[in-house]
Amino acid sequence: MYHAGDPSLFGVVIMTENRLGADRRMTNTGTTRPTTHRDGGQRPGEVWGEATSAFNRWLEGESAGLDDLVAVMTPVLWHVVRAYRLPQEAAEDVVQTTWLALVRRRASIADPAAVGGWLTTTARREAWRVSGASSKTMPVADEDLAPRLPDQKSAESIAVEHDTKHRLWAAVEGLPERCRRLLRVVAFENRPDYARLATDLDMPVGSIGPTRGRCLAKLRVALAQTGEF
Amino acid sequence: MSEMSRESLLEVVRRVYEEQDPPAEDLVPRMQAAAAFADSDLDLELMLLVERSTELVGARGGTAYTLRFVHGETDLLLRVAVEGELSRVDGWIVPPEPMTVRAIPGEQPRSHDTLVSDGGRFVLTDLPVGQIQIRLEPHDLERPAFATPTFDL
Repeated sequence: MYHAGDPSLFGVVIMTENRLGADRRMTNTGTTRPTTHRDGGQRPGEVWGEATSAFNRWLEGESAGLDDLVAVMTPVLWHVVRAYRLPQEAAEDVVQTTWLALVRRRASIADPAAVGGWLTTTARREAWRVSGASSKTMPVADEDLAPRLPDQKSAESIAVEHDTKHRLWAAVEGLPERCRRLLRVVAFENRPDYARLATDLDMPVGSIGPTRGRCLAKLRVALAQTGEF
Repeated sequence: MSEMSRESLLEVVRRVYEEQDPPAEDLVPRMQAAAAFADSDLDLELMLLVERSTELVGARGGTAYTLRFVHGETDLLLRVAVEGELSRVDGWIVPPEPMTVRAIPGEQPRSHDTLVSDGGRFVLTDLPVGQIQIRLEPHDLERPAFATPTFDL
């Protein structure tokens, strides 16, 4: 699905960041990226706007609107659901249940601008339910993720090859699990509901903000240690 | 070392996961098919019309009548009031359950949607006269969606 076609994007982001220096934070990385492709790589703001317009077209009776809404939001839902440690098939089932719920409950979405948030919230609720149900029979879901992850050896060897993409992956992958899950949800969602996140991650609601800050700080340090920054 | 902003850090997180754990290539078309199927009338179960009252002519020339449909344990009572080119449908679902009600006029692509109240009531106003179908879509995804046969308002 990822076909931004430019692994160099990481490099662009990083170089721009370095040029701007420590005190002038980058505010518009989006300008370095094509905006036409829809599956992956969009800034969340673009995704939500497209989702709303597609939802409206569907409500107006245009079935292509539903197709477009599914195309725009399915990758976002996938990433949010995968943060719940669900194996591929279970994660896909949760995404599908979310779409069936949208079709069945469309009339309960009073504000079309909120359709993106409605979808991610519904998906997280379902993922939480399914992961809770399955954790009794599947104590460790991490092995399901393992085939997709680079192992330590390959991460090291790739680091030697100065492969920026894999260094970034290793930096993210090296974070504590709770940080990885929280940051993945926050990165793909527009404005995640902290109360819900707190329940899902088994944390007090007041600690989500500070934890996110600490996780971002850890990531900042980890990225710095890659030598790329 | 340069300080990365929150947004650029989250951008890295997004990029990393898009690269390392993307959805399956065919996930979008599969989800499009599933959503389109749920949105279609292909798996609708039909309700049975069991009663229709005689038409009552109101004082101001409008007409009203009642219809009763059943499907399994669910009863759907409709009171249809026609006034000129438009009609109003008051519905009552027994036993009540959370549902989306969609009135689909014969020739229009756009449906008239509403929710069932806790007491099982719903109202659809400004429906065009002519052929119409009422679909009931339970919010409980385990339950099938069902619909009345097409009838004339």
